[in-house]
Amino acid sequence: MEIHGYNMPDELYYEENHFWVRDEGDILVMGMDDFAQILAGEIVYVQLPDEGKILKAGKKFAKLESGKWLGKVYAPVSGELFGVNEELETNPALINDDCYGKGWMYKIKPDDKGELNNLMHSREELDKWLLADIEKYVKE
Amino acid sequence: MEARYGFEKKFRDQVLRCSSCGFCRAVCPVFGATLRPSYNARGKMLVLKEVMDGTIELNDELIETLFQCTICASCEKNCPSGVNVPEIIRQVRKDMVHIGSCHPAFRGMNEVLQKHTNIYAEEEPEDFERERNKKAECVYFIGCVGSYREDEATLSILALLDRLKVDYTLIDEVCCSGVLEDMGYPINKGLAQRNIDLILATGAQTVITGCPYCSRTFNNKSQYAELKAKRIRVLHITQFLKDFEFGVKTDKLVTYHDPCDLGRHCEIYEEPREIIRKIAPNFVEMPHSRVDALCCGAGGGVRGAYPKNSIAMARRRLEEVEEVGAEVMLTECNSCLHNFSNAKLRKQNFKIYNITQFINELMEEVE
Repeated sequence: MEIHGYNMPDELYYEENHFWVRDEGDILVMGMDDFAQILAGEIVYVQLPDEGKILKAGKKFAKLESGKWLGKVYAPVSGELFGVNEELETNPALINDDCYGKGWMYKIKPDDKGELNNLMHSREELDKWLLADIEKYVKE
Repeated sequence: MEARYGFEKKFRDQVLRCSSCGFCRAVCPVFGATLRPSYNARGKMLVLKEVMDGTIELNDELIETLFQCTICASCEKNCPSGVNVPEIIRQVRKDMVHIGSCHPAFRGMNEVLQKHTNIYAEEEPEDFERERNKKAECVYFIGCVGSYREDEATLSILALLDRLKVDYTLIDEVCCSGVLEDMGYPINKGLAQRNIDLILATGAQTVITGCPYCSRTFNNKSQYAELKAKRIRVLHITQFLKDFEFGVKTDKLVTYHDPCDLGRHCEIYEEPREIIRKIAPNFVEMPHSRVDALCCGAGGGVRGAYPKNSIAMARRRLEEVEEVGAEVMLTECNSCLHNFSNAKLRKQNFKIYNITQFINELMEEVE
């Protein structure tokens, strides 16, 4: 679905720093949302930590950069890093080209998939959050 | 014909002295990453000759050529005709800024440093959990990259200084702004004075910098002359630490990357190696070292303006680490450390540290 001009697929869950999470059964896939990739500009570096890293919901576990901007990636749920998109090592701009597809970033094996319910999902929640961030970050 | 630009007035003879031999092409990191003849020093000098002849104009079309240079000085050190390319490029960039033809990233960085106190426009400094602006024998000056991009390396260096019982203080530092001169803009005097006042207020006689560029700026730029006048020594951390004993050793095969700002620009080659010899007897040089060291690709504003090419340059250097089979690559520059860390591929098994960070880790292991 499109919200205020940004593509925000409705089957995904979103955390407040603009990373999305897709439920794929035992594994969750995460990446950067359309709002953030547009705001950041061309992504030039994505940190790809080793698989097996223990993630704690809300704690920083990686970073990414576009030019002079440094972004921190926070774990949307607690669990273990199960996989990373190695394509991003040589082509980080895949995040700009296809942020919900080829530009996916990490796979997580969650401790408790119920934590997905702590993320934003409903149209109403997304609408309010996105509008606030547009006012905060997007210059006319 | 009357000289229209500053570079003609100052460097006409040098530009004409370039014999197009191409020695610079072999060592230019930008050429190595792009294979574009117009991007190496020979290409740039040919373009500038045309400008002096009036055949082409200095304008936006030349931004890609003249702003894409890390100011690493490899060309200058290898030039048999003695052409000082970095100084010519700095002056050309000033001329281009003057006529309004500037790379937008360079213009942006100057704007950032008119409004903010660091090159990243970060509002909140990292804490580093240490008291600032206190009386001490030394000031440790972190620099922008160490403050906002390589904070873990900075925490390590501070922990090392603590372990060595160095009497130091941090200050509420702002960007030294030396980098602006590489981009065609003047050093921000307001920022310089803030640093000077904060340093003097501590009573320190020595300023230790983690960043070789800050060290160069403090030592060589007129905006910081007050430090010299007040007999304040400014040392890069490798100069400061060279006579210390650390009491730790590693068996790992270690190599060292000479940062351009420390090596070619300050001719500090021995001090880092003296320190490394104490902790890593199993040491190997890369095929290009000291004055011939390959550039990491981050300098001269290139990391911000041309990040892909910047990372490609770092990857060329990292291939040499693989070639010599080193398990650890050390350097002592947060810009180099940052660019290499960004460029390193997961399949590359070696680790990258600042020397200080590595020593601190070794000391932690034996405690």
